[in-house]
Amino acid sequence: MSYIEFKNVCKKYPGSDKNTVENLNLNIEEKEFIAFVGPSGCGKSTTLRMMAGFEEITGGELYIGGKKMNDVAPRDRGIAMVFQNYALYPHMTVEKNIGYGLKNMKMPADKIKEKVDWAIKLLGLEEYRYRKPKNLSGGQRQRVALGRAIVKNQKVFLMDEPLSNLDAKLRVSMRTEISKLHRQLGATTIYVTHDQVEAMTMADRIVIMKDGVVQQVGRPMELYDHPVNQFVAGFIGSPQMNFFDVTVENGIVKFQDGNTLKLSEGTLKKLGGRQGEMIMGIRGEDLKMDEQNLELRKENKQSAVITDTEVMGNENNLYFEFGGTQAVARVSKYEISQIGDKIEFVFMPSKIHFFDKETGVNYTEAE
Amino acid sequence: MKKKNSIMGMAFFGPALVLMVIFLFLPMVLTFIFSFTDYFALNPGLTHFVGLENYFEIFQDELFLKSFLNTVKFVIIIVPLQCGGALLLALAINKAAHCKKYFKVAFFIPVVMSLAVVSTLWMQIYSPEGILNTLLEHLGISAQPFIYSSKQALPSIAIMSAWQGMGYQMIIFLGGLQNINPALYEAAEMDHASAWQKFKDITLPELKPLCVFVFITVTIGAFRMLVQPMVMTGGGPDHSTYTMVYDIYETGTVNWEMGLASTMAVVFTVFVVILTIIQNVLTKGKEERKLVHKKAKAR
Amino acid sequence: MFTKKQKRVNWILVVILLVLSIFFLFPVIWMLANSFKPDAAITADMNSIAAFIPPAPDGSFFDNYISIITNTSFLRYMGNTLLYAAILIVLSVIINGLAGYALAKIKFPFRDQWLLIIMMLLIVPTETVITIHFLIIAKAGLLNTVVGYILPMIVNPFNIFLFRQVFVSLPDDVYEAAQLDFCGPVKYFFTMVIPMSKTVVATVSVFTFLNVWNDYLWPSLVFTSSDLLTAQIGLNSITSNENTTMGQTLAVITLVTIPVIIIYSLFSKQIVEGVTSTGSKEG
Repeated sequence: MSYIEFKNVCKKYPGSDKNTVENLNLNIEEKEFIAFVGPSGCGKSTTLRMMAGFEEITGGELYIGGKKMNDVAPRDRGIAMVFQNYALYPHMTVEKNIGYGLKNMKMPADKIKEKVDWAIKLLGLEEYRYRKPKNLSGGQRQRVALGRAIVKNQKVFLMDEPLSNLDAKLRVSMRTEISKLHRQLGATTIYVTHDQVEAMTMADRIVIMKDGVVQQVGRPMELYDHPVNQFVAGFIGSPQMNFFDVTVENGIVKFQDGNTLKLSEGTLKKLGGRQGEMIMGIRGEDLKMDEQNLELRKENKQSAVITDTEVMGNENNLYFEFGGTQAVARVSKYEISQIGDKIEFVFMPSKIHFFDKETGVNYTEAE
Repeated sequence: MKKKNSIMGMAFFGPALVLMVIFLFLPMVLTFIFSFTDYFALNPGLTHFVGLENYFEIFQDELFLKSFLNTVKFVIIIVPLQCGGALLLALAINKAAHCKKYFKVAFFIPVVMSLAVVSTLWMQIYSPEGILNTLLEHLGISAQPFIYSSKQALPSIAIMSAWQGMGYQMIIFLGGLQNINPALYEAAEMDHASAWQKFKDITLPELKPLCVFVFITVTIGAFRMLVQPMVMTGGGPDHSTYTMVYDIYETGTVNWEMGLASTMAVVFTVFVVILTIIQNVLTKGKEERKLVHKKAKAR
Repeated sequence: MFTKKQKRVNWILVVILLVLSIFFLFPVIWMLANSFKPDAAITADMNSIAAFIPPAPDGSFFDNYISIITNTSFLRYMGNTLLYAAILIVLSVIINGLAGYALAKIKFPFRDQWLLIIMMLLIVPTETVITIHFLIIAKAGLLNTVVGYILPMIVNPFNIFLFRQVFVSLPDDVYEAAQLDFCGPVKYFFTMVIPMSKTVVATVSVFTFLNVWNDYLWPSLVFTSSDLLTAQIGLNSITSNENTTMGQTLAVITLVTIPVIIIYSLFSKQIVEGVTSTGSKEG
């Protein structure tokens, strides 16, 4: 049995005719770092709050450590939580905030001090020990919230968009800090975020949700390379994967603007003989424009005119009109192009995905 | 979870609820029931149901009618005095260049003093050889009887009460003035509005809901007036300062005619409720206006 | 910002208001100045500006006050009132606060209906039920007791409403965090909600104090024993005594006023906030 198990878990709010979370089945192993990701309203926060016990589970069962949790009070579930707005106790100092739970557990004072000292040191809060939350910066508050969660020695950490109120730079450094903390403490961590970068960089496995339904569960690179549908493909990765409306006939892809592409044997095999209108997807970095690739696949060479560029420093994004839509290519910083330049490129055949026009299912990943 | 919430809700709300039932709901129900009886508190055994008799009786009772008239007179004198005074003070203080804090404190001091203190103090001030008559004498005005004459007693108490209460409404008006979006005045400045036009076209319309509120609360407060004549004149001279609430109070706790007192209380309450409903109707549109105001601020 | 003309107008306003405030406060100034004088001096000074100036401090400066304190139980009445006020502050914050919290944060049955009823109760003039209070307290055999005096004064719909308005905007996640820190709802109320809402607690406390200190009608009905009287009733019984001089009367009312002035100067911010909130509730 896995450490945390969801069995057909549903959430339906009174007065709503649709389930906010639909038949969630998921196993989470001990010490795993799981990220729930999806657009706002996808049910990821609701799922987390059901785990915490702040939202009633209206259908199905939730097990933590083999025990059914549906009717167990939040405090008895063996969890600690970090809230989006930190939820620090405004009238208590940093030290009191961190130690409050321990005090309520009736832990002896010297033991509390030991634990609080440890957390304060671990999080680098020594200077702020006697300050109140309103005199702390966002990042420091975040650390206090983390400290309050870790001192209690709970087996499960729940984090609800903990970094969403921080500025971009701080977010990056807190990301590594939370990862480090997870490695040190080894608590099972459930992390909810709308930011796919956070999910990709921190999680062991990602659960991607949409409209209350889990779309795909997997390791970050699995989701990146093998998305099961167009939603996952589009949600993970930045810039977004290129999608083209195409027609496939006799092994030839016909784009809306009349351009064509002859598919390789391998891709055709993955397509399994499917024909007709579908969506073709390919990531920006899989549009190649180096000499070697252009030479190798010259029969499928495409051309376009650059309409926009994004210079990132280490690499550049080139935007251009192709296949009746705007497409983007990610190129190294040595391949400099300017608006108005004509470029030639080829698609990496092994990286092409085909999605069903209606359901969005990825044909190329189907068994 | 739901069950837990009802238990917790009742545990938190329960103590207040029990006290409310005993000291608010029960008295209201009892008052209503008593108003149809001849309940005499010193001999409750002899209570009969008398229907609407009490209601006919009080409207034929000269003293009740007089107390009603006195109350109305009092209201007519005090309301413009107190509301107008408060508004003028607030406008002046809001514009004053300095000492705002001092003014706010100075004009509010009488509010925190008790009615008993204020009444006792003004009894001395109004006394025939008192400081006020001395001051008037210096101005060449002959001595006035004030609270010792049936003609002047009620206006004297009204002036004193306005003096005592004015600061409260002044603070409310000041709060309202500070809530007016300064951008409105800036926009008016751009449109070449004169000071008077700004007052007429911005300040007054923006304060209007607050004016209605103050007007009604002062009116209701004036209807409830009781302690001042109790301390100063005992309702006299010649029942000239006898108010409705005074009548209810005396009929109930001095004469122990609870039936009659309850009837008066019901009539009085109906009166107050009608005033409150009028207020709500008059200020109804203001929620929408507030929204517009907020939007304007956000922009 | 201001033009020259506007500046001049604003200064003229200051002068007018200064003069006005002196006239406005003349009863209070007169009260204070003459509370230190014997009656003969009060009458003699009446004709001059000396009426508003306290006498030179000499041996008899505090005579009026001393005779009040030594010849009457007035200090005791003040002490009684302070005690009642303290008890009522604690009880009203707890009981009205708990009710306000329930109405704000706990989804119990008929919550919205209760809120509506409480808002309607704000309209009812309390003077009309005071006779019934008297009957109830008399029936319960609690006349002339502290309990009988206090019971009807605890619950105040306006305070419940005030608490509710403040508690409604408290963040829910702090309560959730506290739950995970093993803090139950009752403990949460006392150790979190109350400290987080210091302003409204202070406002309700100050208004409860003023209310108890200044109340006249209810204590005059409940208390007959002179041991339990409040300051306002004591004041009335002392000043209506034939033998009390004018100077002593002024000394008594000054004494009664001192605590409220102290409270007002310490908590004027809360008082102004409370007053303005009655305005913004409706206006």
